[in-house]
Amino acid sequence: MSAALKNPTETPDNDFELTGEDLPISTFELEALQPEAEQPAPLQTELFLPESNPEQPEISPQIEFDGMQKPLFSVLLDDGREVHFRHAASLLESLEAQDVAVHYQCREGYCGSCRVQLLEGNVHYAEEPMAWLNEGDILPCCCIPKSDIKIKL
Amino acid sequence: MAYTTFNRNEFDTFAQPMFFGEQVNVARYDQQKHKIFENLIEKQLSFFWRPEEVDLTNDRKDFFDLPEHEKHIFVSNLKYQTLLDSVQGRSPNIALLPVVSLPELETWIETWSFSETIHSRSYTHIVRNIVPNPAQIFDDITRNEHITRRAISVTEYYDSFINLSNYYIQLGEGTHQVNGETIEVNMHELKRRMYLMMVSVNVLEAIRFYVSFACSFAFAERAKMEGNAKIIKLIARDEALHLTGTQHILQIMAKGKDDPEFATIAEECRDDVVRIFSEAAQQEKEWAEYLFKDGSMIGLNKDILCQYVEYITNQRIAALGFDPVFPQRNNPLPWINAWLNSDNVQVAPQEAEISSYLVGAIDSEVDTADLGDFDL
Repeated sequence: MSAALKNPTETPDNDFELTGEDLPISTFELEALQPEAEQPAPLQTELFLPESNPEQPEISPQIEFDGMQKPLFSVLLDDGREVHFRHAASLLESLEAQDVAVHYQCREGYCGSCRVQLLEGNVHYAEEPMAWLNEGDILPCCCIPKSDIKIKL
Repeated sequence: MAYTTFNRNEFDTFAQPMFFGEQVNVARYDQQKHKIFENLIEKQLSFFWRPEEVDLTNDRKDFFDLPEHEKHIFVSNLKYQTLLDSVQGRSPNIALLPVVSLPELETWIETWSFSETIHSRSYTHIVRNIVPNPAQIFDDITRNEHITRRAISVTEYYDSFINLSNYYIQLGEGTHQVNGETIEVNMHELKRRMYLMMVSVNVLEAIRFYVSFACSFAFAERAKMEGNAKIIKLIARDEALHLTGTQHILQIMAKGKDDPEFATIAEECRDDVVRIFSEAAQQEKEWAEYLFKDGSMIGLNKDILCQYVEYITNQRIAALGFDPVFPQRNNPLPWINAWLNSDNVQVAPQEAEISSYLVGAIDSEVDTADLGDFDL
C-alpha cells in the first residue's frame, strides 16, 4: 500500500498495488467466484390498487360532527343495478368495490378510458381532468357524486 | 403563402385557429388559446423516461426459453411497434408544424413527436438485448409483407396530406402547373385531408398499438419478458396521453370552435371516420391471425385478441361521439387494465437494477488494518 502511495507513477495502470503485508491470497475472494446461493426472485408487478374495500373502511375516515350528515348517494346504473357512494376517494373506486366493472387506464383523468355517461345528478372534480369529455360524459376515476346520480356504462 | 420560420406580422393569437392561420412567430406561452395543450406538454414532460432505466437481463433468458411460435409473436409485435413509432416520431412534425398557428399547439406537437423517438430508442434497446444481431429484426420490417402492407394504411393519410400541403406552403391556393402537372390546391380539400389524417393518427394510437400491448402484457402475466412489459407500460402511458391530444384536436375541429370550416368537414367525413376505424379493426384482426399462425400463447389466442380489437374500437370511436361499430361486449381482457395503469409504473433504483445506480456502488468498508503502514 505504502509503496503505491509514495510512487503513484510507478504503476500507472493500476489504482493501487498490493505490497508489504503478507496477506494470504485467499483473503481477496472475488464475489463472482462464490457459488450463487439462489436465483434472484423474478420481478414482481406491484399493484397499488386499494387493498381494503374503500366503500367499507374499518374506521370511518370521515370526522363526525354533530348535526352534519355523512354523504350517502345512490348510484343507479342504466342496467338497473344500484350501488352507493359513501367513503371512496373516487366514483371509480366506489364502483369497483361494489363489483361494477369499469374500463380504466390512467386513473388520473388524462386518458379518458373510464368515461361513462351521466344521466342524472351532479358530480364534482377536485381537479379538472385533461381527457376530452363530450357533453354528459364524466370520468369516474377523478370525480365524486354531489347528489344521487344515474350513469350509463 | 410561403413558409417562414419567423412570421413578422403582428396578429391576435386568440383570433387564430389551430391550423392554417397566421404562421407562428414568438414561442410564447403567456397567451394560450387552448390551455389543454400546455397541460398535455407538462404531463408529457413529467412522464420523461429512458429505456436504459429498465433492466432487461432476465428477458434475455426468458426469450431463449420461449417456444418458436411465441418468439414469432414477440418479435413480430416488436417489428410492428417499431414501424408505428418510426412513423409517429417524424410525421406529426413534418405534417403539422408548417401549418400550425398556435405556439402551445406547436410545442405540443414537438413534445409529442419527441416522446415517440424515445419509444423507438427503447425498441432498439429491447432488440439488442434479445438477439446478437439487431439488423436481422430491423431489416425485416421493410421486407416482411405483413408489416409493409400495414405500413401503407398507417402512412397513406399522412402522405396524402403532406403532398398537398407542400404545394400549399410553396404556391398557396389555386391551380398551379408544376412540371407539366396541374395541381389544384384548395383549402377545403386540404382541411379534409388533415381531418382524415388526424382520425388515422387517432386510430394508430388508440387501436393499432393496443394489439401489441395486449401480447406484451400477456407474456408478463406469465412472468415472461417482464422488463419488456415494463417498457411497454411506459409507452402505453405516453400513448394514452397522445391519444387524449389527438382527441382534443379532432373535437376542437369537429365542434368548429376556432375554424367553422372544419365543423362542416367533420360532418361530411362522418362516414369516412367510421370506415377508417372499421378498416383498422379489420387489419388488426388480420394481424392477430398472422401472429398466431403457428400457435396461440397461453392466455391469449386469435379469437380473444379479435374480441379485444372490437371492444377497444367501440370504446375509442364512442369517445369521438360516434355510435359503436361492433356489437357491445364486456372487456375480454379485464386483466389488461392493471397493466395499462400507470400507477404501477415505478422505475426507482430500489425496484429495478439500474446500471447507473450500480456504477456508483463502492465498498465503503475500511478496516484500521488497511491503514497499518500508512505514515505521514
